[in-house]
Amino acid sequence: MTAFARLLRSKTFVWIVLILPGLWPAWPLFVRQDSSALADPLKFILHHLGFVACLLLVTVLTFSPLRVLFPRSPVVQALNRHRRLVGVSAFVYAALHFTTHLLYEGGAHPANLPGIFRNVLDKPFQLTGLIALTILLLLAVTSLHAAVRWLGGRRWKNLHRLAYVAAALIAYHQAAARKIFPVQVLWIFIPLVVLELLRLWKTHRPRPAPAAARP
Amino acid sequence: GFPDQQNPAYNGTGLKPTPYNLVTSYNNFYEFGLNKDDPKDNANRGWNTDAWTLELAGLVRSPQKIDVNALVRQLGLEQRVYRHRCVEAWSMVVPWDGFPLAKLIALADPLPTAKYVKFTTFYDPSAAVGQRSNSLDWPYVEGLRLDEAMHPLAFIATGIYGKPLPNQNGAPLRLVVPWKYGFKGIKSIVKIELTKREPRNTWNVMAPSEYGFYANVNPTVDHPRWSQASERIIGGGIFSGRQPTLMFNGYEKEVAPLYKDLNLRVNF
Repeated sequence: MTAFARLLRSKTFVWIVLILPGLWPAWPLFVRQDSSALADPLKFILHHLGFVACLLLVTVLTFSPLRVLFPRSPVVQALNRHRRLVGVSAFVYAALHFTTHLLYEGGAHPANLPGIFRNVLDKPFQLTGLIALTILLLLAVTSLHAAVRWLGGRRWKNLHRLAYVAAALIAYHQAAARKIFPVQVLWIFIPLVVLELLRLWKTHRPRPAPAAARP
Repeated sequence: GFPDQQNPAYNGTGLKPTPYNLVTSYNNFYEFGLNKDDPKDNANRGWNTDAWTLELAGLVRSPQKIDVNALVRQLGLEQRVYRHRCVEAWSMVVPWDGFPLAKLIALADPLPTAKYVKFTTFYDPSAAVGQRSNSLDWPYVEGLRLDEAMHPLAFIATGIYGKPLPNQNGAPLRLVVPWKYGFKGIKSIVKIELTKREPRNTWNVMAPSEYGFYANVNPTVDHPRWSQASERIIGGGIFSGRQPTLMFNGYEKEVAPLYKDLNLRVNF
């Protein structure tokens, strides 16, 4: 096993990799003091958290097809040990993103919340985000081993297929976030789609026919 | 031209001007890239705006091509402090240096058949990296109804804070229409044309359900993807940042009569 695969098996290493993106905004805001970030710091943080949440969701969804396509790879096996951790972190970043949205739109005044929710509900761009977040919440809450036992393997697996629905909603949500379609959406989602198509092909391709029955 | 006098009618009492470094580094100027800090980086890599000709054309008695420096000397400069409201729901307060658009249009002497003013920006993909991709239809086009263009508030800016306009803010001449969303403020103008028909402005061509021709600031008419009822104050910091958006960006008294028969929800 390579050193990299060994490193990837470490939960500590993965925790660090997952926390670092959350700390990253401090660099442009406080160290480099980029005026484009300082102009509207909360908007900067909002977009960054959303981007990280989206990346983590897409990343965790690549683990299964990678396992189907490269079952013997130590790196892929190591990644698949962390599916729950990475998946839940996608939810955490999404929740932080939504909380930032509430602060961004309404400040810290609870009186503004009904108005903010009215806006979220009547604008598809915002609503898709909220639905995706709700799905991720459901998946995070049922990610505990106890939940798998309670639901039963088959029901749990079907429930967690909602992750694909969340991913589709987020592709739309991210595409709709700027005035002009952001090409990065394609860079993020096309690889996942390709991996999934390859996985479907490998799982469902025609098997060699059994030997013909002897007369 | 500089230093110029402040116009006391627009001295910005009660308004807090946005710091110069933010006004000149947080820009939507897609000709030079899509990020807010791209124009400052990409518009200053040797793009020359010192020698510039403005064309006045269309339904006018005096079509002409003018050197911008001569134009500024001829018309003189004044400073006005205006609110600036972007359609993305953020706002600034900017002390612009320039002259009323009405003076410039008077030079061209519109014919009675002229009903609209069409503005066109430069087209030079060798200098403007963003024009090499078709994120928008280049060159950028904007327009005003003739009465809007002749309104005392409509302004052509050639400087900010008593200094010449930086390239990323639309040097050497840009339009400032403070009661409308900022995308109406076309930058680096090369041509002003008087027309009979309403021009198709670039953002309206790009997304007709989101950006209209009039683009009057209106807190009661939302953008399809976000609310226009309030705005972030650029430079307002993390916590102080938001304020309610005012009808016509606070210029309701001055401009509401222009639209008394217009349905502002349909004509957004």
